[in-house]
Amino acid sequence: MGLPLTISGLSVSSKRGRLLLSVPDLDMPAGSLVGIEGASGAGKSTLLYALAGLQEAKGSIRWGDQDLLALNAGERARFRANRIGMIFQDFLLFEELDAGENAALTALFRPRRERATLRAKAAERLDFLGLGGETRDRNVVSLSGGERQRVAIARAMAAEAPVLLADEPTASLDRAAADRLIEDLVNLTRSSGTTLIAVSHDQTLISRMDRVLTIRDGAIVADRKAAR
Amino acid sequence: MIALWENLPALTQDILFTLLLLSPSFVVGVFVLHGYAPWPLVRAILWRFRGSSTLFVLLIAISVGMGIGLLAQERGLRRGTAHAADKFDLVVSAPGSEMTVMMASVFLKPSDMPLLDGETYNAIANHENVSIAAPLAFGDSYGTASVIGTTAQFARYLADDHIEGRMWQSANEALAGALVPLAVGDSFTPAHGHGDSAEEEAHEGADLVVVGRLAPTGTPWDRAILVPVEMVWTVHGLGTGHDPQHRDQIGPPFDPQTFPGTPAVVVRSEALWANYALRSEFTRDRETMAFFPGAVLAQLYQVLGDVRQVMSIMAVVTQVLVAAAVLLGLFIISRLFHRQIALLRALGAPARFVFSVVWSFGATLLVAGSALGLLVGFGSAAVLSKVVTARTDIFVTAPLGMSELHLLAGFVSITLLLSLLPAAIVLRQPVVPGLRA
Repeated sequence: MGLPLTISGLSVSSKRGRLLLSVPDLDMPAGSLVGIEGASGAGKSTLLYALAGLQEAKGSIRWGDQDLLALNAGERARFRANRIGMIFQDFLLFEELDAGENAALTALFRPRRERATLRAKAAERLDFLGLGGETRDRNVVSLSGGERQRVAIARAMAAEAPVLLADEPTASLDRAAADRLIEDLVNLTRSSGTTLIAVSHDQTLISRMDRVLTIRDGAIVADRKAAR
Repeated sequence: MIALWENLPALTQDILFTLLLLSPSFVVGVFVLHGYAPWPLVRAILWRFRGSSTLFVLLIAISVGMGIGLLAQERGLRRGTAHAADKFDLVVSAPGSEMTVMMASVFLKPSDMPLLDGETYNAIANHENVSIAAPLAFGDSYGTASVIGTTAQFARYLADDHIEGRMWQSANEALAGALVPLAVGDSFTPAHGHGDSAEEEAHEGADLVVVGRLAPTGTPWDRAILVPVEMVWTVHGLGTGHDPQHRDQIGPPFDPQTFPGTPAVVVRSEALWANYALRSEFTRDRETMAFFPGAVLAQLYQVLGDVRQVMSIMAVVTQVLVAAAVLLGLFIISRLFHRQIALLRALGAPARFVFSVVWSFGATLLVAGSALGLLVGFGSAAVLSKVVTARTDIFVTAPLGMSELHLLAGFVSITLLLSLLPAAIVLRQPVVPGLRA
């Protein structure tokens, strides 16, 4: 089951003090699928990384009952490891490892007793995403862009994190691959009740979301339900 | 505790000391890696940056190899020179520099030296505790081989009686050292002097026949031609050293009246204590000087020992500097995979796990380089030994010893500790720019 999000008084500034993002208030119910759109440099990814606790920010980002910004770096890392999965535009896989090893990457820094379970879960995700069998043992370099991004999804969801943050997940894919990925992503998150927040320019993906936020110059200027 | 340590066998002490030197790296390794499995990622990063990694390993290997190779070589040279002096228990000469006499008699590098007269020689030779008293006569050569005049008894002693062919029986017969390019039956005419300044025609008519070859001794004497000392004296117009009634005699006793003189007498006694007594007896102001070449070498080693200590420190400092350069390189190379590091941190990897990945990467390069350096050191010491042996005729072998292992262990520990630094610096890099790179 996903986590609800409550933001209040969030602001992110550059090192020189320039305001990059300001979100006075924002609520998202658990299990919602939210798209974030806007022009390049508007602050979409800044918001996404702030939600992951990767940006220095002021205010409050509350996932469930946990205020992320009140945690220190180690606690935030632990929170991410257990509660947040992430997907990136260009997959960010270890190209020297096979699909199975990439999907189970986070097992490497899990307690020993959890590793086998996580690997099994990663394999299960890969199966669900059509990358089971021999494909699991193939080096990711030999996979197509769509397959690589599905490996990244399996990695993000192997730990059954209640939150999935996706930064332009279809930007590196052709239309057909992107469409299939969107289908998989939406089905997987909906079936597991995961909260999905996706930054994207891809209107097909945006259209599958429950809700769409538009960001301009570091501020949310529109908040609407997606047209299905 | 000290008594317990001192009672341990030397090998056990060496092994324990090596482990002690390595212990900081073990402790760091256990502390950094405990509970994590970074090796799949380390392997992946090593493979991705295999070119740079190989270069780093080679750099470390060459640095380590040269360091330990040189130290091993220095020890091998000491052993080789000590071995060369084995047969020279005691040398008696006119007063002067012990080093000069030793260089002439043991290492066949003669220079102008005053001579001992016949009475002195006879006093030595006739001493009750002396079993061999061999006069030496230098000054001639054949090609690159020195022609040394001495006695048959000393020639046999030098080669442990292993002579292919036979001992000389007349003044115009010779024994070739093991490395002299002359076979039994070959004839030659010695030149006066050595090298480019040798006078080839000076002893024309003094033809010599090789009647035997000495077994290898691993000393400069392997490249010498031994002849009856009477032959050298004769071709220089100094007589035979025997009275006219015995002018064809070869070997002692010599006539003190006609004895031409010798720069050095190699003395051997059957009893160790007698050597000390003889040294004392023939150390006379303004008349004779008696010394143990081994003791002179020991003094030389003492000086070299100080140099060795300085060299060892310099070797360590050099290697630490190389290691520092390599660590700087590690830091630079770690920037190449800062995206992967940023990814791990974005996925929630604990700081210590990320630290362990970066440290293990550096540690793998350092340990692999050091291990390869051991082989390079072994190889370079072997090559240097061959070169030194070829140039000096002193048989030098330089197998790696425990002191080299200690140096290596110290190097590994210091550099593994130093490599904590780039790992710590990598952790300070911001995550988001890494993800966006």
